[in-house]
Amino acid sequence: MTVLAILIVAGPLAGPAAALLRARARAAGVALAAGGLVSLAAAITLLAMLVHHPPLTGGDGFLYVDALSGFFLITVAGVTALAAFGSIAYLSAEEDAGALSSFQVRLYFAFFGLFASLMLASLETGNLGLLFVLIEASTLASAALVGLEGKARSLEAAWKYVIISSLGVTIALAGTLFLFYAGSALHLASNQRLTWPYLLAHAAVLAPQPVRLAFLLAVVGYGTKVGLAPMHTWLPDAHAEAPSPASAMLSAALLNTGMYAIIRFLAITQARLGAAFPRAVLLTFGFASVVIGVLFMVRRGNFKRLFAYSSVEHMGIIAVALGFGGVLGLYGALLHTLNHAIAKAVLFLDSGDVALRYRTREAAGVRGLLVAVPVTGGALLFGSLAVLGSPPFGLFLSELTIVRAGFARSSPILPLLLLGLLAVAFIAFARTTAGMVTGSAASPAAPASPDGSAAPASPATPGAPVDPYRGRGARWAAAVPLAAGLVALLVLGLWIPAGLNTAILHSLAVIR
Amino acid sequence: MEKLAATSPAGVLLDLSGVLILLLAFACLGSKLFNRYVAYYGAQSVVLSFAAGVAAWTFHSVELWILAVLTLAIKGIGIPVATRRLLLRRLALARDSAISIGLSTSLIVGGALTAFAYLVTRPQLLPHGVVAAAVVPLSTAVILLGALEMVVRRHTVAQLIGWLIVENGVFLGAITLVATFPFIVEAGIFLDVAAGVLIMVVFVSGLTRQLAEASTTELRGLRG
Repeated sequence: MTVLAILIVAGPLAGPAAALLRARARAAGVALAAGGLVSLAAAITLLAMLVHHPPLTGGDGFLYVDALSGFFLITVAGVTALAAFGSIAYLSAEEDAGALSSFQVRLYFAFFGLFASLMLASLETGNLGLLFVLIEASTLASAALVGLEGKARSLEAAWKYVIISSLGVTIALAGTLFLFYAGSALHLASNQRLTWPYLLAHAAVLAPQPVRLAFLLAVVGYGTKVGLAPMHTWLPDAHAEAPSPASAMLSAALLNTGMYAIIRFLAITQARLGAAFPRAVLLTFGFASVVIGVLFMVRRGNFKRLFAYSSVEHMGIIAVALGFGGVLGLYGALLHTLNHAIAKAVLFLDSGDVALRYRTREAAGVRGLLVAVPVTGGALLFGSLAVLGSPPFGLFLSELTIVRAGFARSSPILPLLLLGLLAVAFIAFARTTAGMVTGSAASPAAPASPDGSAAPASPATPGAPVDPYRGRGARWAAAVPLAAGLVALLVLGLWIPAGLNTAILHSLAVIR
Repeated sequence: MEKLAATSPAGVLLDLSGVLILLLAFACLGSKLFNRYVAYYGAQSVVLSFAAGVAAWTFHSVELWILAVLTLAIKGIGIPVATRRLLLRRLALARDSAISIGLSTSLIVGGALTAFAYLVTRPQLLPHGVVAAAVVPLSTAVILLGALEMVVRRHTVAQLIGWLIVENGVFLGAITLVATFPFIVEAGIFLDVAAGVLIMVVFVSGLTRQLAEASTTELRGLRG
């Protein structure tokens, strides 16, 4: 099992290796995608084994993988594989168009692999301190991806991202310290005192006040990475300016890693203080995020920012689900994490395709996708429907579970409020994407502003898409992850595989 | 553990270092010259490494001696020299004019935050047996002052220094847990800070090359 755990973390390192060997975009992308698939396969095998075996431990508590970590490992590894596949086509197109130099392409693959690997490693450690170290390191690696294009806008977004996230994670470290103070009644001078399983087992002897403070600081700190309002301000900028496969990684993998850390703190706090206090905190931050996300989705403009605000909304929904609690709430939260990750990866990869074809990130500059580019348009249409929670996709099921969990609590006000917000989100989101998908392709709508991921390679008429890919292989590489993601969402909407169901139930046992 | 009680010489030295670190954070907040920011941060890190040395001497711990030397080398000397060379001199930064509230107002707010830190982490709220419990509110206050610096200063370099002060505050809190805080974690935190400063320096100089002045007041392109 330890070999599998190492394989999961080592898989994405194929990216940096290829970059060191000075590979071009296509070769490096294929290597990274292969690495991502290895990671995903190892993660699935590991989770299948964890259902029947006790958690994997080692290295004095530094290595600790239970069903909950296994579940998040699958989510992050799956997103990594999808985004790595998407990188093949996207980066080759950018390299061919001269939008990115070969040095920038190598930087991309080096930091992409490092970023994925660090996130996966942070899910495998049982030590709270090491968790901080790895999450902060993954922030730095992803900041390099955000600032990759080197223009004033992307550097600005990268600066905002790195300074806000670093401060947030440092606050979470302060929370970790307070949890450590809370345990000073435990006389044990070894690394065990800073590990999840040990703290959870000895929760009863922790001092209550420092635990309360620690949970608040952890929610604020790691909540900055999750993008919970009001700490979400870095999120739309970073998602809009990063290369699209990297945006997919930020939205679908990084945010979930932060949520994983919060869930671990939640488990310990619940064990010591009871459920009322942490639930109130999570419901507050969750509803704030849903409201903020929905409000900003009403604005029409950059479609990558729209997707980013949708991430804020969905992270809020997950926090609300954790706040509702109970078996239903936690089950819904985990299922929603997986569903949202896949759907958002599909949407961001698709947005990369659109941005390459139209050389704009403004929704007003894109029309008639379904006619002009049926594959891209179809993926955008179905991806939007999925992320908005329409049947038969997986998010419908998970959102339904979460709302049911809310009604299972005493008051029906909160779940009704959530339903109302979801309806507004549907209208706001679909208003923009429907405009992009429908209409006649030939209408020469001028791009709203010369935002431009790069100057147009050829003086094409504005509004008319160009084919950015060279050869059939690249076109397939762009379409495969979209199709794979949509099929996975459809399957999860119709039927939850028995293995996944068992795995989620096992993860719940860790939290409750 | 009882070697670090507030009355023992080591405990007194540790408390004294904590107070000095807090004063240097205030000094940074009350200044508007970039040179001073860096100088105060450097001095703060030197005091921090002295505190780590005191703890190492008390516990006879080799790992802590390594940490003290690392603090002195990276935070006390490395980062200040690098910031001066790569940012202040190359970008010809002298006076910080991007301050949102007056210096005296920010000092008063800082005082209020310090009082708040003592309120939140009153020793009686902490469990018994915490080593050098007086250091915990001090480190909380330093964290808040660093965050305040990041809020009231709009210049990117000032925000970088603010984050480093927050980090020093956390580290001061961690020193009081010396006996049990794993070395790998502390070393990892060091690595993160060093890498973080490097990548931030790259961003700041890149931004400065593109804008006339890397002040976040001008970072208004991304909104909504």
